[in-house]
Amino acid sequence: MEHAYLGVDVGSISTKGVIIDKKNGILASQYIWTQGDPIGAVKELVGLLEGQFDKEKYKIVATGTTGSARKLVGVVLGATMVKNEITAHAVGTTTFYPDVRTILEIGGQDSKIILVENGVAVDYAMNTLCAAGTGAFLSSQAKRLGIEVEEIGDYALRSTHPTQIAARCTVFAESDLVHKIQMGHPREDIIAGVCNAVAANYLNNVGKGKKIVSPVVFQGGVSKNKGVVAAFERTLGCPVVVDPNGHLMGALGAAILARRGSKRQEFDFSVENMEFRTREAGCGGCSNHCEIICVYRGDELIDSWGNRCERGARVRG
Amino acid sequence: MENESIKIGLPRAMLYYRCRVLWQTFFQELGMETVVSPPTDREILERGTALAIDEACLSLKIYLGHVAALVGRCDYILVPRVSNFGRQRAMCTRFEALPDLAANVFRDSRQRFLSYDVDEEMKKAGEEDALVELGKSLGASAKAAKKAYKAAKKAELSHHKERVQRYEQQYKKTGMKVLIAAHSYVAEDPYMGRMVSDYLKKAGVVPVRADMVDREAALKHSREISPTCKWEISREILGGVAIHQNDVDGIILLSAFPCGPDAMVNELIVRRVKGVPMLELVLDSQSGTAGVETRLESFIDIIRFQKGVL
Repeated sequence: MEHAYLGVDVGSISTKGVIIDKKNGILASQYIWTQGDPIGAVKELVGLLEGQFDKEKYKIVATGTTGSARKLVGVVLGATMVKNEITAHAVGTTTFYPDVRTILEIGGQDSKIILVENGVAVDYAMNTLCAAGTGAFLSSQAKRLGIEVEEIGDYALRSTHPTQIAARCTVFAESDLVHKIQMGHPREDIIAGVCNAVAANYLNNVGKGKKIVSPVVFQGGVSKNKGVVAAFERTLGCPVVVDPNGHLMGALGAAILARRGSKRQEFDFSVENMEFRTREAGCGGCSNHCEIICVYRGDELIDSWGNRCERGARVRG
Repeated sequence: MENESIKIGLPRAMLYYRCRVLWQTFFQELGMETVVSPPTDREILERGTALAIDEACLSLKIYLGHVAALVGRCDYILVPRVSNFGRQRAMCTRFEALPDLAANVFRDSRQRFLSYDVDEEMKKAGEEDALVELGKSLGASAKAAKKAYKAAKKAELSHHKERVQRYEQQYKKTGMKVLIAAHSYVAEDPYMGRMVSDYLKKAGVVPVRADMVDREAALKHSREISPTCKWEISREILGGVAIHQNDVDGIILLSAFPCGPDAMVNELIVRRVKGVPMLELVLDSQSGTAGVETRLESFIDIIRFQKGVL
């Protein structure tokens, strides 16, 4: 049996999974919507990965999780490695692009920039309090304009005179956009303007003060939008690489980190048939009223978190 | 007025973290009792948020929650006005506004407030004059008030010196050290910055503090990063960063949303201080700590990457 490694990246919008072999070759991969149910999504994901996976030849010896639901999903899958998405993306990308200097990432609700020197991440920034210009913004604007989010790129590339859209803030961008629609700007120009606004907003916020050096790799869901890619290339004045597996980089990074880690635990595909549920238990130990999340497999409590102090341990029982 | 019976409330927020020894010693010397509001918890934050205008910074919201926690529990609540200690030694305008703000927000309560006014630039009133006046207004003689201030200042200085020495020891420790650049009331509040230093310790990192330096030296060294910065506490932080930037593996610029001075000074640090990994962390009143943990974890990972240990 050859060893294989599972990496799962559960974000706010989408859930990604890969199984790799020892040489980082992809044995199975899947991308589905999270739809507000990370446990349900990950069970579905495991089922889909199982269908592509050769169980006779390989066995999964380590599992890594990342993304905003990494902790929850890590418990459900019995992960041997739980890592934040910045580290996972940096590791994934530098494995496949050892020369990369700048990683741009725009996901459903957050965006980040990672600067790399000699294959090692040296600096990063992440959006702080504002989610302007992320995938969620593009989705809502696509809906307003009556097109599918997947079509944005094609529309944008047809435009020759992109409309100026205020990029600073989603709320202002949206009212500006409505105004421009009512003024009669053609739809493709507005869409191209939205793509420019996303790129400008990203560079002015997350990328502020960072020296962006080529080669640049762009990933996250928004990297599938050709309009935003073109806007970045124009603004940065250098080519922007979008890997066909760019959406899987976090999951790949998680799998690679799991492989590099010391823990080993054979993965059991039967989790897709198990019942998991979570319960929020308020701790009444003091006036902080911590919100404790308890995770159950069947009726068995398998983990809990969220308490600021030891007093919360009582609630678990 | 019987001095023994006077009880003075100290809100555990804002300048408390800087002046607690000064205040406690001063009132104790005058034979008065002090009572401190409990450490920040969710109730204090929620009460403060309800009392403050939306645009107020998180630190001010928490401050009002602490004042509310003391209302009715003491004769006076101390809310000083500290405007500046001279030219280019200003405090944030929040500290100028506090007494008026507190009097207004709590106007319907019968609570009495106590204030003193430090304003070298406009009123030529230093901390000593201001506190002696305060002592006199509470019935102490000028001589007793002066003596109390001297004792209080001495205690404050030696307490700060002790803390600085303790932090100096931390720099000698082996392993990863991260400098936290923050106002003391952000860094030490259990609902704000304390979770940052707690997290670092749990991750095996030694947290050190930019403002835990000799204050005079810091003011001088702050000029290396900015010759014109005018905020006293920001200058101490700048000076601490200038003095210790080569002794640490990373710097966390920790700020409470939306802090005016930090918005400018942290940006300045990012642009002027090079060669050391930096993380800008802005805290808001979100009860979840997930975002903060993600950022801290990845920041530590990046430092470890550079050292080749990950």
